[in-house]
Amino acid sequence: MNKLAIITAFLGAVKNRYMVYQEDRSLEEKFLMASKVEGIDGLELCYPADFDDPKKLKELLKKYNFGVSAINFRSRRTGKWWRGSFTSESMSERQDFIDEVKKTMDAAGELGCNRITTCPLNDGSDYLFEMDYIKAYDDAAETFSAACAHNRQVRVCIEYKESDPRARCLFGNAGETASFCQLVGADNLGVTLDIGHAIYTGERPAQSAVSLAKAKRLFYVHLNDNDGRWDWDMLPGAYHMWEFIELFYYLRQLGYNDDWYAFDVFPKETDTVNTFKSVVMLTRKLEDLTDRIDRKEMESLLEKRNPTKTIPYLYSLL
Amino acid sequence: MRNWKFAVNSAFFGKRRDRFTEYQPDRTLGEKFKLAKQIKGIDGIEMKYPLDLKDIASAKRLLEESGLACPAVNVDIKDAAFFRYGALSARSKEARDRAISLLREGMDIAAELKAGLVTTCPLADGYDYPFQTDYPSLWERFIESIKEVVSYRKDVKLSLEFQPHEPHAKIILSNVGKVLHVCAEVGLPNLGANLDIGHSFAAGESPAESAALLASKNRLFYIHTNDNTGEGGDWDMISGTVHFWHWLELLYTLDRVGYEGWFGGDITSKHIGPVEAYDTNTRMIQRMVKLLNRMGTNKIAELVKKDGNTAEMFDYLSQCLVEKL
Repeated sequence: MNKLAIITAFLGAVKNRYMVYQEDRSLEEKFLMASKVEGIDGLELCYPADFDDPKKLKELLKKYNFGVSAINFRSRRTGKWWRGSFTSESMSERQDFIDEVKKTMDAAGELGCNRITTCPLNDGSDYLFEMDYIKAYDDAAETFSAACAHNRQVRVCIEYKESDPRARCLFGNAGETASFCQLVGADNLGVTLDIGHAIYTGERPAQSAVSLAKAKRLFYVHLNDNDGRWDWDMLPGAYHMWEFIELFYYLRQLGYNDDWYAFDVFPKETDTVNTFKSVVMLTRKLEDLTDRIDRKEMESLLEKRNPTKTIPYLYSLL
Repeated sequence: MRNWKFAVNSAFFGKRRDRFTEYQPDRTLGEKFKLAKQIKGIDGIEMKYPLDLKDIASAKRLLEESGLACPAVNVDIKDAAFFRYGALSARSKEARDRAISLLREGMDIAAELKAGLVTTCPLADGYDYPFQTDYPSLWERFIESIKEVVSYRKDVKLSLEFQPHEPHAKIILSNVGKVLHVCAEVGLPNLGANLDIGHSFAAGESPAESAALLASKNRLFYIHTNDNTGEGGDWDMISGTVHFWHWLELLYTLDRVGYEGWFGGDITSKHIGPVEAYDTNTRMIQRMVKLLNRMGTNKIAELVKKDGNTAEMFDYLSQCLVEKL
């Protein structure tokens, strides 16, 4: 069974263009909040925000008996990387990115999670003819190649997303990201499959998981949901119940079942602890529904490829 | 083609942020006026209430000194401190009354600034999840509140700006049809629409059609110019940078339906900065107008009346762009 983690950034204030929800909280307060959510096994930490005091961080992890699923490397920062980090026009900014990633990889090694993930949202463009794509992919490949070489034991995951804050991010979907990983050719470079991002970009999450796994790039999974029009970071299954069940069915088959799920879910009006309690409950419930699928039966149904048999079978499990 | 007047939106001249990034510094209203004055072709400034209109006397002075007009007062009714569970549609009477008061105050200010128009985008009125909302009572309250606002004074118009989503996954006033529904239910002539072109694209519409529909019911009061990629993101991009042909169609249609209002602008300037962004936006629209003059709106009108006209139409339109191959 996969362990469950909350991304620390979602335990404090979260904001969108118009609103700020919840309040800013210290790292210790975030740990305390997460500890109130039954069924949470750990946290995905954010770098640099959570690493002001690494000693304190280790104490907190011990005190609350939390594991670390991954370190989330923030590639958008105030005051730098304004026009992109690994695709910045400036070589010194790209070098700065490499140095920062290396530090994050070291931290991941030290904490024993051996995994960092980054969602390169600011690397992309708004307008046509704004970005030289050829140069952007070349710079990106060179940068990630240098970072990945730092420690092959630490896996580096790119979390793709189609847009926001750029009208088009450089890595928008599973295919683009897998193809980029192949281009770089480092075995420790792979993909974080964020289910909300996959849905938002028009993918079937289960299909993306299989396609990434076939390319040996399915490194990590984030769970959340949306209505397919925007990345609302909602409760898993609120919109796409069956997509989650299909995803879980295939993740088990792919062997992603002794790893972590990390949650990025937006606690808006509802308080943070209650939001994540629902998230845990819904995830386990969706897993439970998935487990009701008789594998032999499903294999035979998949062979027949007859939705008039398959869909009623699925509903018979409810 | 008509000559429309252009305005900037004061809210876009200060600090802007999205979920991840902040752009541009905070600016005072005086600084915003100074920047707006630098932009060729800008005759007005739409101002946000309460943000930029805490001191009406000084706003009035700035308008006089700058020679800029105020085409609309944009009333913000999404402050989470009061409208967490909705504004005009909120179950809480206190929240509804607050939203109604803000809009009425905005109407008084609009009269004082000679704008004659209030515009509002009711973004707090929405929901995220299925089974989160009791739709019939929500809509009833929404319409009742709007009735209370527009019946306050007849000499000021209220334009509703629809938007399909954000910050909620679903905003209840999400498309042109719903605005027309509200107008019909309220039944007062001083209620209409602010057609934000980007919102119309985000809602999957052809803005020209939406404009024609609104104009046919005398409900097209105001326009926010911008563009986006059409996948749902409200990127507030420079007009015509994505939907060039749709923008031409829109301008052509506005001319045909006799739109006499302003072109406000909702352009996020991000790295570009507001002066350059609005300057480009204005010039793009002016050039598209010029291009339509070259194409000849009577000629387009003649072609558009024929069924199955696509080949002939685009052959003609594209010839006006580049010489015949």
